[in-house]
Amino acid sequence: MSETTQIVASDHTGSTARPMIALEGVSKTYPGQDRPAVEELTFEVPEGNIVMLIGPSGCGKTTTLKMMNRLIEPTTGRIILDGDDVTAVNADQLRRRIGYVIQQVGLFPHMSIGENIAMVPKMLGWDRARTAARVDELLHLVGMEPGQYRDRYPRQLSGGQQQRVGVARGLAADPPVMLMDEPFGAIDPITRDRLQDEFLEVQRQVAKTICFVTHDLTEAVKLGDRIAIFGAGGRLRQYDTPDEILTNPADEFVAEFVGGGAAVRRLSLLDIARLQLDEVVISATDSPAGPHPVLALDDAGRPDRWLHVPGCDVAPPLVTVPLGGTVYDAVDVMLDSRAPLVLVLGGDGTSRGSLRWDAMVGDLRAKGHGA
Amino acid sequence: MSTVTAPPAATARVRPRAKRDRSLFVTPVIVAIIAIGVVTWINAQDFTVPGRGPEGRALDFGSLLTQFGEHAYLVAISTVVVVVVSIPLGILLSRSSASRVGDAVLAVGGFLQALPALGVIILMAFSPLGFGAPSAIVALVIASFLPVLTNTVVGLRAVDPSFIEAARGMGMTSGMTLRRVELPLAVPVMVAGIRVALVLNVGTATLATYIGAGGLGTPILSMLKLGRSDAAFAVAALVTALAFFVDWLAAVAERLVRGAGG
Repeated sequence: MSETTQIVASDHTGSTARPMIALEGVSKTYPGQDRPAVEELTFEVPEGNIVMLIGPSGCGKTTTLKMMNRLIEPTTGRIILDGDDVTAVNADQLRRRIGYVIQQVGLFPHMSIGENIAMVPKMLGWDRARTAARVDELLHLVGMEPGQYRDRYPRQLSGGQQQRVGVARGLAADPPVMLMDEPFGAIDPITRDRLQDEFLEVQRQVAKTICFVTHDLTEAVKLGDRIAIFGAGGRLRQYDTPDEILTNPADEFVAEFVGGGAAVRRLSLLDIARLQLDEVVISATDSPAGPHPVLALDDAGRPDRWLHVPGCDVAPPLVTVPLGGTVYDAVDVMLDSRAPLVLVLGGDGTSRGSLRWDAMVGDLRAKGHGA
Repeated sequence: MSTVTAPPAATARVRPRAKRDRSLFVTPVIVAIIAIGVVTWINAQDFTVPGRGPEGRALDFGSLLTQFGEHAYLVAISTVVVVVVSIPLGILLSRSSASRVGDAVLAVGGFLQALPALGVIILMAFSPLGFGAPSAIVALVIASFLPVLTNTVVGLRAVDPSFIEAARGMGMTSGMTLRRVELPLAVPVMVAGIRVALVLNVGTATLATYIGAGGLGTPILSMLKLGRSDAAFAVAALVTALAFFVDWLAAVAERLVRGAGG
């Protein structure tokens, strides 16, 4: 009656990371329900990757996450963690090896920030000095000054700060695997965006294997190395890189879930560094009407304003985007200031070329056909 | 008599420490004023007026101290028994697997609580325990276990499930979750129940005199028999002072417990 969903991540990045978490034929049927919440799921999370679990409500993404640390016991199937079958080991011991971060954060209100973070190291029997050093290190890592925050209580922190501590607590015993259940779901959009950036920065330093449940496709595309899209009944519909999912949805369901706006979302995956930039002429005084845009510098040698832009009678306002940004950022600043082109700056603040609106749209279309 | 004590958890937690300190300071002052007032008044009374002999005997300091001691003993033992019985029972009943049993037990407890204390005390005298302190203690336990039981169950059930999920998710066993997370968070509600039980017991213990268990009920009763309601009132004021004092002790204990819990 049950159809086996067997999808192995297709490897576009060419890395040969071994699976850190593997589910083998895992099903979960809750008592008193005749249809399984998760059905015959086989699924691997490669070491060092962020895998985003996403899907409509009731699709089994949270159940799947909680089966990985056995907060929910699977009805059938095996869970493999770092090569070991952990389906039947002591669940409490298992969870101390896996970081866990939830949407409600769940910092214990009667313990200080430091005590909250120190919980798991204490359970693992770390000595006082090592635990204290680890607490300070983690607070630094999430951008909170240990001297200022270590002895405060959770209620004295904002929601964003609490979730930073939540992430630090999840990382406390340096577990190889982190499970995160919509950690930024209850945080206002501006703070959420900043937390996501910080989260990626932390991940660059700690390189954990992370499973991350979200209901926000933008978040999945931004954070995920891979995205697993779940459909009703806990079936895995597609498991692939964000680019591949946005470009080539596996079926109708995924296409509909990804929905309109997929092309715009893909812009945030396209680094400006990967595009061919137009040449920019730098001129001191005169404005020769050539085929390239002409840029004037200020006294300090920094880009100041456009002197001439081909096809424009009046030079448009100068807007810039860093070379490390994405096409999404470039489109954003151009729309914002109604400029037909944007200057791309290198890390040293000098011009690296320009992107023209019309040429860029053409470029994107060409790449879309090529993929 | 209300069976559910309003949990003061939320307000107690955010109340600034300085204000709490001041309120803890006020009670002993009031208690001292009442006690000194009663003692002064009794000293000023002439209990040796001819024909009023029994009154002097009932209110001399030696017997009053003894009766005070009996009263405190009844309250202390019965409250300890209530805490030792009700808190573990409340913990068991608060577990999600026992939620139906819990509701049933709380209903039976509500019924017991509704029995008039005087009736229970007198009925206990006809139990195998007979007249005396043991019967009185059992009756006091029956009269006052419910607030502690209810508040334990309610306090534990009211712990935000996300704290429990976080605790289990980081690898705490269910026992550690109970000890380190659930109980500390439920303590303010549980202590409120214990304080209600204590104050109830101080009042109800005045009835222990009817079955020969002594306590401050004895001089009140004898003064009333003698028609000296002013003297009965003085002793009743002492009982009130004791209730205040005991409640204050519980408040101090609550602060110490909470301080130790962070």
